[in-house]
Amino acid sequence: MKQFVRSQSFGAVIGVTVMLIAFTVIDFSGWWNRSTLANVVQFSAILGLVAMGQALVIMTKEIDLSVGSVYGLTGVAFITLEPKLGVPGSTLAALAIAAAIGAFQGLVVVRGKLPSMIVTLAGLFAARGVIYVWTGGTVQNFSEAARNNWLTGLLGGQIFGIEAAIFWMVGLCLVLNVLLWGTRYGNRLLATGGSLDSAESRGVRTDHVKILAFMLCSLLAGFAGILTLADRPQTHVTLGDLMELEAIASAVIGGCLLTGGRGSLVGAVLGAFIIVSFRYELIALGAPSSWFTTFVGIVLIVAVIFNQYLARRAGHSV
Amino acid sequence: MKLISKILAATALAATVLPVTAQAQDGKKLRFVMVSHIGSNDPNMNWLTLALKEFQEKYPDVTTDYISTNNYSVQEHVRLLEQAISTRPDGIAVPIVSSDAFEGPLRRAIESGIPVVAFNIPDGRPDGERIPYVTYVGGDEYLTGEKLGEYAVAEAEAGHVPKPTRVVCASHDAAHEGLKQRCAGMRDAMAKVGAQFDELFIGAEPATARNTLQSYLSSHPDTNYIFTVAGWSAPWAWGVANDMGLDPDVDDKGVTVLTVDEGPVSIEGVRQGHVLATNSQGFWLQGYAPMEWLYWNIKFGYAPQQDILTGPIIIDKDNADHWAELVRGVFGEEAYNQQNTW
Repeated sequence: MKQFVRSQSFGAVIGVTVMLIAFTVIDFSGWWNRSTLANVVQFSAILGLVAMGQALVIMTKEIDLSVGSVYGLTGVAFITLEPKLGVPGSTLAALAIAAAIGAFQGLVVVRGKLPSMIVTLAGLFAARGVIYVWTGGTVQNFSEAARNNWLTGLLGGQIFGIEAAIFWMVGLCLVLNVLLWGTRYGNRLLATGGSLDSAESRGVRTDHVKILAFMLCSLLAGFAGILTLADRPQTHVTLGDLMELEAIASAVIGGCLLTGGRGSLVGAVLGAFIIVSFRYELIALGAPSSWFTTFVGIVLIVAVIFNQYLARRAGHSV
Repeated sequence: MKLISKILAATALAATVLPVTAQAQDGKKLRFVMVSHIGSNDPNMNWLTLALKEFQEKYPDVTTDYISTNNYSVQEHVRLLEQAISTRPDGIAVPIVSSDAFEGPLRRAIESGIPVVAFNIPDGRPDGERIPYVTYVGGDEYLTGEKLGEYAVAEAEAGHVPKPTRVVCASHDAAHEGLKQRCAGMRDAMAKVGAQFDELFIGAEPATARNTLQSYLSSHPDTNYIFTVAGWSAPWAWGVANDMGLDPDVDDKGVTVLTVDEGPVSIEGVRQGHVLATNSQGFWLQGYAPMEWLYWNIKFGYAPQQDILTGPIIIDKDNADHWAELVRGVFGEEAYNQQNTW
């Protein structure tokens, strides 16, 4: 129990618990029904994938502002390349684009010794610009044959009546947790974010660690974009617009500290669940939908204060 | 409306009568700039750039420049406008996205002798207070919503679609005055038959928009009309309602979807029976007519005494085929088919 309380995702678990109690009291029948939960969990899975990638980068004491645009560009590439490459080919090509963006940004950050905020801000604009230029303003349609392709069904359909995105998110969350907590790379990633000098003095190639973290972040964002469009291919050039802010908020609410070296992938997913749930429930309760933005700001501040408090209690210097 | 028709007719007549190869008096080419809020991320830009191209072909003594940005903000638009003014063009066409923000630069331009025509969005203030531009050429956002609403009510009374009980206006930009006006027009039209009305900010991100709209429809089960104020968000609305089993196709039951614009998505939505109606605000004319009024103003001192409305025109199942043909001509067959995302 003591270990659980000291864990990085404890704040997010408390947040989810409080939220669920509040929704149960305020709107029991509206919240606890299949339609609501299916919708919220599906969109939480999509945002959760992006948030997990963001969490990995934040744990290395960096940040990636380009994830929304990478999510959009990868999704657009998946749709646009499909007529020439087919669904499997366009999926691989789109993911390759995402990985290349992540690798490039990581390289520029570590080799150029530039702040990741600036590099990925440039990435945000550049990727969005490519979407505009490439599409000419309109993302093309996804053919009937492509919609019926087996891979499209596996990425965007339903499995046992549950949206495929949820299975993908759970599966990837498990894999990434094993990577983070059960491999040398995970140990090095946390060490890099915790104390760069100390990690380097122990022979950790922090540059490699960071580049791989950026690549994973872009890949996860891109994969989330593909899952979104495989499910609903009707989209627009605004795909992923401002998603980077929700992803960062999810990671921070989920226990990631911007000072690096501490964070939780499960927490990031729970943070995404909190954000999506509140958006849904605020509207269901009749609040103007733009109040959601205010809400995210408030929750973010509360989460940072609470997570810092927990981190200090756990003996981390923040 | 009669007066407007007369003005439009006069415009058309003058266009045919004026000599097509008129040269500027000093032999120098005139240069008009259109500083637009419609960037290349909006397919409607094709209407405007095509209109400018055709204007140049008809008036070879004029060159036109189309200036816009995809990363839109009022500040960015003002910056583009000031840059354009500093190049000393012979005329400017600009949408008055924010009368406060545009007043300073436009008044300075007008005082320095550069004629200005507002297009697409007028200065919404009373006559005496508004920026003294030559004229306004464009649609009326309020009328767009109102006429579509009135059309839906008439169709409901004819028994073709359900009687409106609750209408949601799904908007992707909470701060866009034009979109608010579209919602307001719809609200007023629907109020006449006692329908409840809500304006819902769904955002421009597709997944977020669907999540938001589904939440609204779940908590407001009496909603039976969705009005999307952008054509590209109509398939999202239809998809959400369809997933929820709300029967969103055009028939006498379930949810009915209304949208705007004459883009391929909107027109094909109507043709395929997913959307009851959409509208055209005469985008081509909004590109062409401002250039002609600038030209006539400079050459002959013409200045219309009233705004020139280029829409709305309702597009429904009766005229959608004709519009599809027209739009194919502007966008091209391949682009038209690609942009049909239904």
